[in-house]
Order: sequence, then structure tokens, then C-alpha cells
Amino acid sequence: MKKKILVANRGEIAIRIMRAIQELDYEAVAVYETPDKDSRHIRLASEAILLGDGPRCDYLNIEKIIKAAKHTGACAIHPGYGFLAENPDFAKACEDAGITFIGPTSEVISNLGNKVIARKIMAEAGIPMVPGTPNLSAGEDGVQEALVFAGKYGYPIMLKATCGGGGRGIRLIESDEQMRKEIPVARSEAMAAFNDESVYLEKVVINPKHVEVQIIADKEGTTIHLGTRDCSIQRRNQKLIEIAPSMIGDKELLEKICQTAVKAAKASNYTNAGTVEFLIDKDFNYYFMEINTRVQVEHTVTEMITGIDIVRTQIKLALGKPLSFTQDDIQLRGHAIEMRLNAEDPQADFMPEGGKTVSVYRSPGGYGVRLDGFVYQGYTIPQVYDSLLVKLTVHGFSWNETVCRLRRCLQNFEISGPKTTIPFYLNIVQDPDFMKGDFNTSFLDTHPQLFEYKETPNEAEKLSKLIAEIHHRGKNPYAL
Amino acid sequence: MERIIQGMAPSEVVAQLRKADGYYITNTARDLSQSDFKNRILLHTDILAAPSRERAGYFSLEITGGASIHVDILRKQVDPFLKLELLREKMPNTMFQTLCRGVNLFGYRPYPQNVIRFTVREFAKYVDVWRTFDFMNHIPNMQAVFEEVAKAGKINEPCICFSTGPEHTDDFYVKKVKEILDVTGSDIILCIKNHGGLGSPQRIGQLVDAIKQSYPDLPIHYHGHNTDGNDIGRIAAAVINGANIVDASDSSMTGYYGPAPSLTVIQTLKELGYTAVGLDEDAVIETSEVIRDQRQYYAAFESQIKGFQPTVQIHKLPGGAMGSSLEQAAKGGFLDKMPDILHKELPRVQKELGNYWSVTPGSQILWTTAVANVQGGERYGNPSGDLRNLLLGKYGPFPFYQPEEWIYEKVLGADWKTVLEREGGMDEIEDMDLEHERTTLREIIGAEPTDQQLVLYLQHPNDAVNFFKFEEKFGKVYVLPPSIFLHQGKFNEGTSLSFTDHYGKEHVIEIGPSMVNEDGESNVYLNVDHHQRIYSFAPEAQEGVVVATVLSKEEIQTLAKNGDIRAPFAGNICEISVKEGQEVAAGEQVAMMEAMKMQTPVVSAIAGIVTTISVKVGDAIKPGAKIAKVDIDE
Repeated sequence: MKKKILVANRGEIAIRIMRAIQELDYEAVAVYETPDKDSRHIRLASEAILLGDGPRCDYLNIEKIIKAAKHTGACAIHPGYGFLAENPDFAKACEDAGITFIGPTSEVISNLGNKVIARKIMAEAGIPMVPGTPNLSAGEDGVQEALVFAGKYGYPIMLKATCGGGGRGIRLIESDEQMRKEIPVARSEAMAAFNDESVYLEKVVINPKHVEVQIIADKEGTTIHLGTRDCSIQRRNQKLIEIAPSMIGDKELLEKICQTAVKAAKASNYTNAGTVEFLIDKDFNYYFMEINTRVQVEHTVTEMITGIDIVRTQIKLALGKPLSFTQDDIQLRGHAIEMRLNAEDPQADFMPEGGKTVSVYRSPGGYGVRLDGFVYQGYTIPQVYDSLLVKLTVHGFSWNETVCRLRRCLQNFEISGPKTTIPFYLNIVQDPDFMKGDFNTSFLDTHPQLFEYKETPNEAEKLSKLIAEIHHRGKNPYAL
Repeated sequence: MERIIQGMAPSEVVAQLRKADGYYITNTARDLSQSDFKNRILLHTDILAAPSRERAGYFSLEITGGASIHVDILRKQVDPFLKLELLREKMPNTMFQTLCRGVNLFGYRPYPQNVIRFTVREFAKYVDVWRTFDFMNHIPNMQAVFEEVAKAGKINEPCICFSTGPEHTDDFYVKKVKEILDVTGSDIILCIKNHGGLGSPQRIGQLVDAIKQSYPDLPIHYHGHNTDGNDIGRIAAAVINGANIVDASDSSMTGYYGPAPSLTVIQTLKELGYTAVGLDEDAVIETSEVIRDQRQYYAAFESQIKGFQPTVQIHKLPGGAMGSSLEQAAKGGFLDKMPDILHKELPRVQKELGNYWSVTPGSQILWTTAVANVQGGERYGNPSGDLRNLLLGKYGPFPFYQPEEWIYEKVLGADWKTVLEREGGMDEIEDMDLEHERTTLREIIGAEPTDQQLVLYLQHPNDAVNFFKFEEKFGKVYVLPPSIFLHQGKFNEGTSLSFTDHYGKEHVIEIGPSMVNEDGESNVYLNVDHHQRIYSFAPEAQEGVVVATVLSKEEIQTLAKNGDIRAPFAGNICEISVKEGQEVAAGEQVAMMEAMKMQTPVVSAIAGIVTTISVKVGDAIKPGAKIAKVDIDE
């Protein structure tokens, strides 16, 4: 009988992982909550286990998932990103149940997931860091600590959930008054999202570039990096567009950052795949931010330029294999850009478009194009999960070729039903600064014109709109 | 051989007409559409007819002008310029003809000189023959058009409008022809515009002969309507007496008020020994066969009253006005008074108002005055603004005699003499600032307008803008056949409609079910190119929208300023932060909403007291749903 691996996730990443599982000739086991019953990840799996009615609580229910793995005889669990991916208790529960957790050890996750411990490890290893606080004390004491820190470093300051990540649980604070107001809100949101209300502060680096390094380490102590990614284009600290490698021209600096990342990974006894995130200020000083102990949404861009299948490698490493390639084998070829096509209305502050049915889904293809998605024509987007529909990743020899390919793909991508970020992205890929590769985290704020677009339906859509109206009214109101 | 080909110089065309042995035919498709189908014949049908009309070898195809430009943008939702461009592709050899109302262009009131010239210049890029008339036969009213047509190297075809009565003598008309030739020179075609189909064959024959006696080299184009069923007789008499071109159209579409059938003209004159020069009879027949099937889809636009109207000789209403006046009478509930209006009052009004020519816009003045006189009780007691302008001489001088003083008094008031002295005579219409108009249009449509768009905007500002918006929304709809565009009633479920769009792409649309949801909103399901699409219509909405209609962001903000707190997006209520009766400050949180993992506080925009809370924790609500009400504390 084939070995089975359970995928403890949903949406596009579940499918991404199943593809690697199937290519390794294992069987993929899906789990799902009731609102996800029509999700394509279930159909692609060999078998599927309904965890419960959810929403979101069953994907976070360690007990149920371990039970599902045992019930199906899965030998390993891949957590994907989000949900339980960076929950050390989950990794621990797998370890205790004799199921391979595809990721670092629970201890590493625990250490790095706690931003305060992580900062301590990095400080000892001599990794450059942004000034910050330990966890704030509970209640009014914590507020007072925060105000003292603010007095020393000045605003703006980031208020972060200690167990957050991926842009979640982060708030920008610009005044004492706001600090007082936001600390309790952040605590309650952190409690709801991560079951831990700890928060801490970090000095804000103004308009930095967000550069991260993909690292991979086996259990024998070999740690290598797969180059950089730039994730500077974000909204509300959520990444929208990611590119690899970073467009910073100083190759020596990038190499130094990569070496620092390897050093950081080694300092934390890291195994499996992970990401070391840095902020780079306008003077090209770089600061360690955090290590994400999971596969990143944007791992595809690194795969495109290195040729390394990161998820496949993750599985093999977790199952005890050593790395089958060395740092010298890794060469970065060309450029890759990934865009997260979300069901959101950028013109209405990215209001999510959940609950709508995808009536038309026509995707582009061709040379250098990769799609990681899970929606299909007729699919109704659940309101209770995130709004990511599909990741569009393109690869090209030069930056310009890659941007042009991306533009072509966006022009040929047709999704009807929910509003999407496609027309907004089309503006971005035609923006002179983006085309030059010149952007940092302030990109959206400094380019408000990107939000000015009209959605232009195609001719068939326009004509059928008139036919629908003639049919509905029993006459053509524009011809009377 | 003797066929006249698009692109020939006016002098060549005129020379060819002079030497040809026989007569030519203009296919007045525009007039057919206007007089018998309320101008609704679609470009789709004209495109179907184009190949055989091209082969038929007409002198010209009258396909634009008159009211058609306005109806193109208002009811057919087609760009009048694009129409000409597309037909030109299919009909490279056939000259296109227009009907122009002189200073009134394609509208009802005089335009400034620079607008006239700009409009003529733009249309002259597509239009070869310019039939221009003035309802008062006041030649200066046509001068600007004559000049611009000549400048563009196109053919001028000035009209003398024809009518009957003691003043309408051959001498009068020959004198008018001289007035025309004095300003245009001799390389023109003269049109006898018999828009009502008035007079007997003999009368038309005499008139043609009289003009030819004075101007033997002047090519004459006879235009008539078949309202009394006898235009074939007048056409034949005109040709026998030397007319060079006559008007007719495709028999399968001819009706009661417009042009006579072309094949009948050809057959009748053949027996009399006159050849239709360059004409391919088979192609004429084929055109009728090709478009015959389309007629059923235009049935709603044909006159509700059938039959020829020989009484036109009494009331003199021109072709197009017949159908619309009967319709107006039917809608206004005075159909029973029509004999009185048409046969008694209208002839009386015509005589009282100077016996001028009953054609646009003069025919409308006569008609509304006659209706008002019968309906209103007191004759001339309720004069229209246009009647007032007519009496003030704004359209030009009365050709024969002025109305009697009592009419002036009724219309202009007791001090009519002073009014006439002060306001009488034709106005100098000031030129428009075209660049200013262009800027205005740019602001309205949000893009640099083309010259063609500006021309349409200058003719009919509101309707042109509505058309531009329509096209942006619904695309180039001329590709839809009348069976779709003019469809009456719902399509049957499962009906499959196919058409090729403007860009050459074939589409198939299948009609699916329609459902009404609990909000009264109708959802129409269509399969468009094998992909399902849903179009939602609010109960009273005027247009199709893809998404359900909800309160806009602005509407929600406006309500918020009145203390009516609505959900800004779809999501769940995860916290209610206030209690009913509690005081809140402006900016204070009343609830927390969560959607797709993001928590967003909902705040009160005003300070006051929470009077109502409409939700509870865990509620999934739609955008615009009521959350709470805050009243200002007084």
C-alpha cells in the first residue's frame, strides 16, 4: 500500500502540497470543514475527512486532525501555511503520535514563534535587529511599558502579536492616545486568532524594503539558502506581490543577507524549509525581522528561479532524507513574480467579495506561467476563509520580459462573479516605478493612481448584458 | 459603362448624367426607414442588404440624414459615422446620399454657422451626395452647407420643396432654381422634393419640363412619396419629361408613406422605352428577397393604420409625419377628430399661414397648430413657440404672403406690431466655442473626444452622451439582428442566439432560467459562450447590473451622519460594544465586525444616545444592513 500524507490545510496550498505528494507517489489525504465541501482540494485527494462544521475552528483543532491522520493511516502531516502551521503544540502532538510533522521541530517552532525568544537567539548570534520590547506586561503596566518605549524611540511603532505572523496581528501606532486604545484591541484579536494574547512593540523602519531569504536545512546540519525574495508591495502589511530575486543592485549586500539568514537558521537549530525576513532601510541597512517556520505563500517565485521544488524537498527532509543538492548547485536564473489574485475590491478598501459565485474562470497559460489556485467555474467563494483565489507566478529571463509576461497574463485572465484584484494589478504592472523594479513598502500609499481603473468587460459580456435586459423586461428599453 | 462610381468628381458625375441615355435610381433606404418604420431599420438589415444593393448599380444609396442621425443614437444605439464606415466597406462603388435640412442640419432648429460647417465637413468624408432643403425654400438658409460640400469635393443636390396651390406655379419654382444656381454654379443636381407625394403625374411632368426648358443641362432628381399610391405615375411623368434620377426603394419593405418600389419603377418605365442606366434587375430583386424575412421584426414600428391615403392631396402631411400623427392621435384619444383635423383644419391653417411647404420643421408647426386649434377650442389661442418664431420670421420670409394680422395678434399679443418690429427677422446665430464644447465633452466622457463624437454632441448633447455611455456599457450592438435587438416579450428558455461581434468574434448565448429572490431582485441566467453568467435586476432598476444592488459606500456614509449605522461590508458581528440607551461619542466603537479574518470596528459618526441595536453577536449581515441607531442627545 502507498504511504499516505495528510494535508492539514485548504485552498490553493492544499493542492500545491498534494501535487508534491502525488509526484512522490504517495497518496494525499484531505481534511475539510463543511463550508469547504465544494473545494477542489477535496476532489484531488485520494480520500477526504470531514473535520466538522467549522468555520475555521476545525482546521485549528489539533485533536481532530491527529485523529483523521490515524484513522486514514497517514504517516506524515503537512500543515501548509496559516492555521496550525506555526503552532508548536500541533508539531508536538504529531511527534507524540508518531506522525511525521513536515516542518521544523516543535521546539524550533516554539522558539521562533515567540518573537521575544527569537529576538534573544538572534541577538546572541549577532544578527542585526530593529529595536523592540519583550512581551508587554498584562493590563495597564503593559501600556506604561509601551509608552516608555515610545518615548525613547518615537513614533511610528509597530504593535505586534507575539504569536502572529504573515501580516496578521500587526498594528501601526502613531500616538500615545492610539497606543492606549489599540493595545486591548490587539490583545483580543490575538487571543481570538492565536489563542495567546501576548503583544510586543517594535520600532518602525520608515518605508523599508521587505526582503526575505528562503532557507532549507536537513537533519544532518546542512543549511543552505535559495536566494532572496522581495515582498515589499503590501497592503495593511499583507503581501500582494512577491518577486525573486530582490531587485537590489548590490549583489554583495544580497549575498551578505543570505549568509546572515543561514547563520540565523543555524543559530536556531533550524530544520526543513523556512524563511528569514529582513527589513532594509533607505541606506541599505538590514534588520532581522523574524523567521517563518512554514512554507510561504510566495515560495513559488523561488522555485521558478532555482528549479528546486520546495514542498517536495520539505517532505523528503521530514522523512529523514539528507539534502540532495549543495549550496553550489543553487543558481538563480532570471526573475519571477507572483501575484495573489484575491476576491477583493481594491477600490472599496479591498473589501472581500466572499459569498459570490465564480461564473466565468478562464486562465492564461503558455511559456513561463504558473498557476496555483483552487477555484473553478461555478465555485462559490466561502465568506469564512481568506480571499485568495489563485496565485499567478511568471518567470522570465529579464525583469522586463517577466513584467511583460505578467501583464499579458493579467490581460488574458478572466474571472467573473466576484470583483478581483486583477484590474488593480494591471495598473501596477504598467506603473513606471514598478517597471523599473523600484518599490518599497510605501508603494501603494505613494501610488494612489493605481486605484484608478475602470473594469472593462469584454464585448460578449457587454452584449449579453443587453440581451439579459431585453429578456428581463420583455422589450428593449433602449430602442423604444 | 455608364455606371456612376463613388469617387468620381462632381463635374464628372453631372456630365455623365447629362449624356446618359435613360435615368438613374437612388435607393432611398433612409426615407423608407423614416417614413414607413419610424426610422428603426437597423444597420444590421442594411448590412444584410449591402452586397446586392452594391451590385444593383444605383445612382446612390440614401442611408443617412433627415431624422436618422438622431434616431441612430437615440433608439438604434449605433454610431452614425460607424454605420457609414461599415457600409462603405461593403459598398465601395455606391455613392452615399444624405438629406440635410440646411441651417437645421439633421435637427429642428437652426445651428450656428461654425457648427454647420464642422458637421458637414465630418459627414462629407463619407457622404457623396448632399440633398439639402429648406422648408421655406429660403436659399440663404442652405448656403453654408452648399459651400462646405463643394469644398469637400462632394456633390450638391439642392432641393426645391414642392407643394400645390394657386401660388405654386412653374414660374415661381423656375425662379427658385435660378436663385440656387446663382449661388452654387452649374455642377449640381437639382432635386424636386415632393415629400408629400403631392400633385398629379401631369403636374410633376409640367414642372420638370418647365425647369428643363429654362435649364436644359441641369440634371433633375425627382423625390416623391407614395402616400396616395400614385408616385409611380409621377415618377414616370418626371422621367418622360427629362428627370435624370428618381427615388425608390426595395419592394419587400415598401409601405404606404414612403418611396415607391424600385422594381415597379423599372418595369413601368421599361414599357415606356426608358432604361434604368447601369441597373442590375436581378440584384434589385435579390435585395428584396434577402431582407423580406426581417420585416416581421419591425412590425411594431409600422403605421397602425393601413392603406394608402389619397387624401394627402388635401392635408399635405409628408410621409414620415403621417404615421407619427396617427400614432399621436391614437395615444391622445382624438382619432375620431382626425378627419376634421386632416381634411378641414389643416388645409385651413396652411392657407392662413402662407401656404408654405409642409416639411420638417414646418410640417410639425402646421400639425401642432391644427391639433391645438381643434382640441383647444379657441383657434391660435395656444400657440407653440415654433409658431411664434415662424411669424417673427425666424425661419425666413414667407414665400407668397404673410398671415393675416389677427393671427399675429393672437400669437404675439396685442402689441404684436412692436414685438414684430423689435424681435422680427432672422437672428444672427453666434458661433459656438467648439474648443469649449470639446472640453465639456471630455469632462463628461472622461476621455479625449473624437471629432465625430463632438459632431454628434453638438447636434444632440444629451442623447449623444447617453449613447456614448450606452456603447461603453453594452458594446457595439449593431451586430444584433432585429430579432434580438427589437425582440418583443421574453425569449423562450433554451433559446440559442448567435452573432458575430464588431471584432469578428462569434458568440453564442443561451437563455437560461430567470428567478426572483426574496428581495424582489430578478436574476437572469445566460450561458455566454458556454459560461454561465448571472444578470441581476432590481425590482425597478433601469439597467442590468452584475452584482446585487446594495447601498453604496457614499449612501452608507450619508446615513451614518444621521446616526443610522449600517454594515460597511458583508461579515459577522463579533462584538457589540454598546447597550441601548448608552451615550456614545463621535468616533466611538459600537460594534466589531469580522470578515475574512479581519476585524474592523464599526464606529458612530455622531455623538448621541444609542436608541436601537438591530443585530446580535454572531449575525452574518449584508453590506448596508442596519447595525444600530444613534439619536442626537438634545
